[in-house]
Amino acid sequence: MSASGYLGLLPLAILAGSAILVLFGLAFARQRYETAFALSMAGLVAALASLFFAWTGAPQRFTALLVLDHFAYLSMALSIGATIVVEFMSFAYFRARREENGEFYFLLQLACLGCAVLASSSSFASFFLGLELLSTPLFTLIGYRREREAGLRSAFMYLILAGVSSAFLLFGMALVYLETGSLDITTAARAASGSASFTVLAGLALMTVGIGFKLAVAPFHVWTPDIYDAAPAPATAFIATASKGAMAILLVRFFAPAGIAGAGPFAWIFAAIAGISMFTGNILALREGNLKRLLAYSSIAHLGYILVAFVASGNQGSAAVSFYLVAYFVSNLAAFAAVAGLSTNEAEADSIEHYRGLAKGHPWAAAALTASLLSLAGLPLTAGFMGKFVIFEAGAGAFLWVLVVILAVNSTISIFYYLRVVSALYRPASEAGTGSMSPRPAMPALAAIALAAMAIAIIVIGAMPGSLMAFIREVARDIASNAAAAL
Amino acid sequence: MSIVALIPAFPFAGALLIFLGWRMKGRTAAIIGSAAVGLSMASAITLASISSLSPQSGSAFGLVLWNWLQVGSISVPIGLAVDALSIVMCLVVTVVGFLIHLYSVDHMAGEEGYGRFFGYMNLFVGSMLTLVLADNLLLLYLGWEGVGLCSYLLIGFWYRESANGRAARKAFIVTRIGDISLLVGIFLLATSLGSLDIQEIGRRAASAWPLGSPIASLAAALVLGGALGKSAQLPLHTWLPDAMAGPSPVSALIHAATMVTAGVYLVARTNALFALAPAVQLAVAIIGAATLLVAGWSALFQTDIKRVLAYSTMSQIGYMFLALGLGAWTGAIFHLAMHAFFKALLFLTAGVIINALHHEHDIFKMGGLARRMPFAFWVFLIGSLGLTALPPVTSGFASKDAIVARAWTSGDPGHLLWIAAMLGVLITSAYTFRLLFVVFAGRGASAANAANAAHGSAHEGGQELARPGPLLTIPLGILAFFCLIGGLVDFPRILGGVPWFGTFLGTALPPAREAEAGGGSELALALASLGTSLMGILIGALLWRRSLKPGFVSPSSGIASFFKKGWGFDRIYAVLFQTPFEWLCRVNRRDAVNLASNGIGTANLAFSRVLRSSQTGMIRWYVAFLAVGGALVIAAAVIL
Repeated sequence: MSASGYLGLLPLAILAGSAILVLFGLAFARQRYETAFALSMAGLVAALASLFFAWTGAPQRFTALLVLDHFAYLSMALSIGATIVVEFMSFAYFRARREENGEFYFLLQLACLGCAVLASSSSFASFFLGLELLSTPLFTLIGYRREREAGLRSAFMYLILAGVSSAFLLFGMALVYLETGSLDITTAARAASGSASFTVLAGLALMTVGIGFKLAVAPFHVWTPDIYDAAPAPATAFIATASKGAMAILLVRFFAPAGIAGAGPFAWIFAAIAGISMFTGNILALREGNLKRLLAYSSIAHLGYILVAFVASGNQGSAAVSFYLVAYFVSNLAAFAAVAGLSTNEAEADSIEHYRGLAKGHPWAAAALTASLLSLAGLPLTAGFMGKFVIFEAGAGAFLWVLVVILAVNSTISIFYYLRVVSALYRPASEAGTGSMSPRPAMPALAAIALAAMAIAIIVIGAMPGSLMAFIREVARDIASNAAAAL
Repeated sequence: MSIVALIPAFPFAGALLIFLGWRMKGRTAAIIGSAAVGLSMASAITLASISSLSPQSGSAFGLVLWNWLQVGSISVPIGLAVDALSIVMCLVVTVVGFLIHLYSVDHMAGEEGYGRFFGYMNLFVGSMLTLVLADNLLLLYLGWEGVGLCSYLLIGFWYRESANGRAARKAFIVTRIGDISLLVGIFLLATSLGSLDIQEIGRRAASAWPLGSPIASLAAALVLGGALGKSAQLPLHTWLPDAMAGPSPVSALIHAATMVTAGVYLVARTNALFALAPAVQLAVAIIGAATLLVAGWSALFQTDIKRVLAYSTMSQIGYMFLALGLGAWTGAIFHLAMHAFFKALLFLTAGVIINALHHEHDIFKMGGLARRMPFAFWVFLIGSLGLTALPPVTSGFASKDAIVARAWTSGDPGHLLWIAAMLGVLITSAYTFRLLFVVFAGRGASAANAANAAHGSAHEGGQELARPGPLLTIPLGILAFFCLIGGLVDFPRILGGVPWFGTFLGTALPPAREAEAGGGSELALALASLGTSLMGILIGALLWRRSLKPGFVSPSSGIASFFKKGWGFDRIYAVLFQTPFEWLCRVNRRDAVNLASNGIGTANLAFSRVLRSSQTGMIRWYVAFLAVGGALVIAAAVIL
């Protein structure tokens, strides 16, 4: 292994190493939550910076477990960036109980490492390792506020459901291995695209359950609202973005180039999942009065949109998935930053009623939250619009007219519930004070910074997507050629 | 020349700052708003001096800021085009806009929503500049919708009165008809020519479409539809008089100087299309001529000072359309620029008068104001002379006479159009001087005294009213100065002038396609229109004398009332469209279509209820979901 080979591993090494540092820091000074935050932030920023050095060495394989190409680095950048924003939120969110929140950063960082491994894994072993590295911290993150019964209950729910889905995944992997004799994901995917045997098909189907659970697409979506609702807002933000994003990247990376998405039984299965997810998510969200649950339902639909691009496959499809992920990340992070910033120790800012009259007291926050919701709805000049636009383009390019029409119909449905929240922001606060807190807390600085940064990103990506789009297309072109070269 | 990007950027930045600091002190908003437009004006002037020092001929300097969308062969860049036409428009918008912002600082002081006002105004200026600088039709349309939105917001600025809200909605809906036409036109051009770039469209249309071909005519007609709505020309003109419900600076900036002339700009900008569709171009001229007569005639019967000016605006834009229709592209833009100055001056002065008289709009309750408001009188006089194209005020004199002369020299239909234009000259000076006499002459109407008594104010009929402050008088003075000398930039050659303006614009717009009339006939035409104007003054004076007679009441019934209400267009539209539509809605309230559209909503909500019942929060139920889902996927994988 050459020096540049180890340089390519640097981001993962820094993430892991600094996670351990954070843990040590906590062991010696339990009360020093600022130290934990600073150490973890330094580690994340260093990992992000090391991506620039690792970039030139790509693509390369690291043993049989990892493939470190541009696409992997791009998804690492996404996960790490999302984690940084989530840590900003966390610092603001736990402002009243800082002495107990040191471990939160350690767990977030560990989960981030899981995302990075997942996105660069090339074998079932590393796939599973990454997945568990991601899931295990999440159990604790969800139930982090252990004085809340709902949080604990949801943590157990996630533990059990994640266990079940992992069982599906493992059994599926075993079946595929039984037939192909290889743990390599690409090989497995290849095997499925040809005239596959029953064993391989059943194995892949079982794996789909595990993957679908992580992505929270219908019909594996049922856990989403409960977990989103009960977890602390920053943890929810992480689940909504980094965790789902890493899995979506993995899906694209190995299944799309092998042609599994474009043809054969799994094209139909993923198309059906996409369609059902779009409808289920959006229709469930229509009557929701809780912002966190609403975002949970809407995320089901968003992952459905992403699967449309996935089924479209090819370079355009991969690029569309990545671009949509960026748009989805910034929009969701902005929304959760607002929730985290406006929550207090006593009450989570989750009821839509709570947001009535926000524009009066917090005009900037209201404007940023509006930008985020409009972006999620996909209105022009926002990142979300560009994201939908590229998915449309990919879908139309692959002649997936039914899915494209379903996407259009669902965009329309979704506008209803997003605008319901927006209109609440600009309505006068209710007199009776039902659900709305008074006085509203000031927005903590770090949450405001996260919110503002994400809102600016939404507008910039929406108004001038050119360079980002070109960059992502370039990287997406990489995966196809890498996959071809690998075999 | 990249400074061009700053021109729209400043007002947009100002609007953003004002909106996000919603509760900032009113003064701060006013300073930010005015400074933003001031900086924008400075950039526009810099740009204009750079480009006039090193004039380019032919195609424009283009600055593509970035590419917004790219689908197949059609790309939508955020690109700005700098040529003589856009520079002139930028100068008009920023200079008049800046003066009106300054004026508003004082004029709007103490109003509820002072900061909001400046936010909307800045947004307007930014959108208008986007419209005139856009190098492609989609960006132009973005600006087009932006100014429409601001117009709506500002007409309904005093939203607590429902009549203002109604006026705002009317303006929005009527112009929307035009907007849709323009949008369809853009779609047609994009699909049939494969480009959105304005220059490129001109080139491709000229090579792909033969002269007078149906598709060229259709495209030109659709674009014209948009222009008619925005510029309040027949038959989409009914919204403009009602739009006077907004504050006076809004009427001056949006509904006189800039936005309503966007239609003129649009037709001039897409002149290549109209050159391919002679029939549509003739329609432009006829519509212009008809509008200038219909609106001018209505202006003679108005009693509200701002409505007189509103009808006058329609009539003057009618002149611009006439010029466009005759192929006098530069003449139309010249009149647009001159009109912006004198009409802004008139509106702003009217605003001063209205405020001094405690929001009195009725001219018959004014009277004798020349002595009580001497400054207002002098600037209003200058504006009026500009409007009636009389020397020594050069602005209207230079621009309108050029159009009238142009009608004479343009061949066969031209003579009829010339008669219309001359009639228009007569009517214009009649209503202008009727207004001037009624408001300023005499000893002051008894009604005015009564009004004063009713307000319980101290000043007597003969006394001077409170002098307007410097922030009001300085913009008025500057505008009056521009009116006085503005016409010199393109003065008739026969009177020793040099056509700088025409030469400058000639780099961007095609030349008028005709042989210049001989010097003798040019002089004769000028004298004829001068005489007509003077005759109009006489009529105006007679109308004023008549109103002084005891027992005079302003028209409220009969034919005069018909003209006052704008030839009953509102009534006709109500009968033709509104009533049947409302009837259809009432009858159709429970029809199948409605059932379907409501049914979608109901079904969705019902379905939502069903689905939500699956969200039980019970783990065993959720695990069952996973299991059943897994079974389905396996079954599908095996069967397919």
